[in-house]
Amino acid sequence: MLLTKEALRLDLPLTATRLKRFIKDYVEKTRAKGIVVALSGGVDSSTAAALSALAIGGNKVLALSMPEKETCNALDTKHIRKLARKFRFTLERIDITNILQALYESIPAFDPSDVVSKGNIKARTRMICTYYYANLHNRIVVGPSDKSETMMGYFTKWGDVAADIAPLMDLYKTQVRQLAAHIGIPIEITAKPSTPQLWPEQLAEDELGIKYELLDLVLLGLENFMSAEDIATQLNLRLKLVEGVKTRWLSTEHKRRTPLTTKIEYRTVGKDFRLPYTPP
Amino acid sequence: MQSRQNEGDEKKMAEKITVALGQMSCRVGDKKHNIDVMKKKIKQAKRIKADIIAFPELCLTGYVVRDRAYEFAEPVPNGPSVHEIEKIAKNEEMHIIFGMIERSSKAVAVLHNTAVLIGPDGFIGKYQKMHLPTHSVFEEKRYFRLGYQAPVFETDAGKIGMIICYDVYFPEITRLLSLKGTKLIVCISASPSVRRGFFETLTAARAMENNVFLAFVNLAGIEDGLQFWGGSRIIAPSGSVISQAKYDADDFIFAAIDYSDINRVQAWVPTMRDLRPEIFTSLRKEAENL
Repeated sequence: MLLTKEALRLDLPLTATRLKRFIKDYVEKTRAKGIVVALSGGVDSSTAAALSALAIGGNKVLALSMPEKETCNALDTKHIRKLARKFRFTLERIDITNILQALYESIPAFDPSDVVSKGNIKARTRMICTYYYANLHNRIVVGPSDKSETMMGYFTKWGDVAADIAPLMDLYKTQVRQLAAHIGIPIEITAKPSTPQLWPEQLAEDELGIKYELLDLVLLGLENFMSAEDIATQLNLRLKLVEGVKTRWLSTEHKRRTPLTTKIEYRTVGKDFRLPYTPP
Repeated sequence: MQSRQNEGDEKKMAEKITVALGQMSCRVGDKKHNIDVMKKKIKQAKRIKADIIAFPELCLTGYVVRDRAYEFAEPVPNGPSVHEIEKIAKNEEMHIIFGMIERSSKAVAVLHNTAVLIGPDGFIGKYQKMHLPTHSVFEEKRYFRLGYQAPVFETDAGKIGMIICYDVYFPEITRLLSLKGTKLIVCISASPSVRRGFFETLTAARAMENNVFLAFVNLAGIEDGLQFWGGSRIIAPSGSVISQAKYDADDFIFAAIDYSDINRVQAWVPTMRDLRPEIFTSLRKEAENL
């Protein structure tokens, strides 16, 4: 297999149609009244919100902007408003600063210097607010997760990944960018560097140690059962870098599963209890 | 001897028939709903004077049923759903092919992925899927026992053979059906979107290489995130698509077919004349030593 940019090219109209169809079908089958999306202003959540609006109509989509004082920036706010106007979905802003402050003060062991643990509280707080609205209005939550970040485990367990459906989860980040441009997401959003916004100045590519254009090709190779050696040779990368990506992918499998249990009884949830989801 | 039998058979069967295909999405586990959908399409087929209508693989229950396969399975032909379709076939004077989970009459946990053929006079026969995909998103061997026979059924609508979905990747089975004198191969399917290109190529190839008509009927709809692409089609022995259904949506299509076209195509691309049986021996030998 040739790991080139071409290998990640999508049939964009067909992909958009399938994703919209998937979203609409799920909303109808679950008899939900609409969709809630947590909107950060990044390319993933913007695409998830826009596709949701295109699938079922903007009037049935509620986007929640949930800034907090440490990472809030005017540019994201501007992008979010622009997107809401363009795709005609409802926008609600919840400043989560006070909720976070209450949590920090209430947890005896809270350590502000541990930015990862603290950042995960932010992602999980956003999840709590998102599901509150979903419960309140009988809506489903559409998640923003893409395949690059999901494979790398680059997300907060039970945080930003928590959703009823994740339409973009089978598309790599660079593919989400292609799709975003295709459905009319403004370039200032698609070209913006990705950040989970868990602490100031956090950038995804800095943390992952590789540009998405290369990461996606490495992951595509792993998806296609290629060896780390072959991937490194083709992409002219250090073998150690490719092996690092592979190790991270395999070691984060626990984040992509239902909680692991051990087999005791006849049929076990998450193992051999295999059921289709059939809404009532 | 085989040749004389075929000549005799051809005299009995209709030369020109109308084939209809009922492309549908299923409500998983809701047999009543799915039979109602089939019933409407059968009535539609009756209105256009079709001789036969075919429905997709496992359309009685939906495809993604997983462990509930045991709960949804029924005996064939002595199960309630087959009896219900028999009544419809009798009322509408129609041949009907559809897919369901069959429970063995000998062992309750032995299931088959089965295509059932029913005529105006009742049950005619069944085909149990021979190639069960168990890779990627498919887990059929977990639930189903392999079929071992590829029967051909003589009906008023012609000599019919059936295959199911992944079988189309294996030219041996359609070749066998065609050697047994099949004029129409019905491929019932539950093919998800990413495989569309393969099926569009393979269905045409199977028709061409065997000089037969091939009717491919696929599910539409979405089950547990799997999107079925529809695109059902009736293909002439020349490989040309005579009629094609919409992609990704429920649909109903039909086409009149003339079995005598097979003679013309057989003379044009005489694959049966040029068949080399000695290759089959080598094929078996090599396949047994993979």
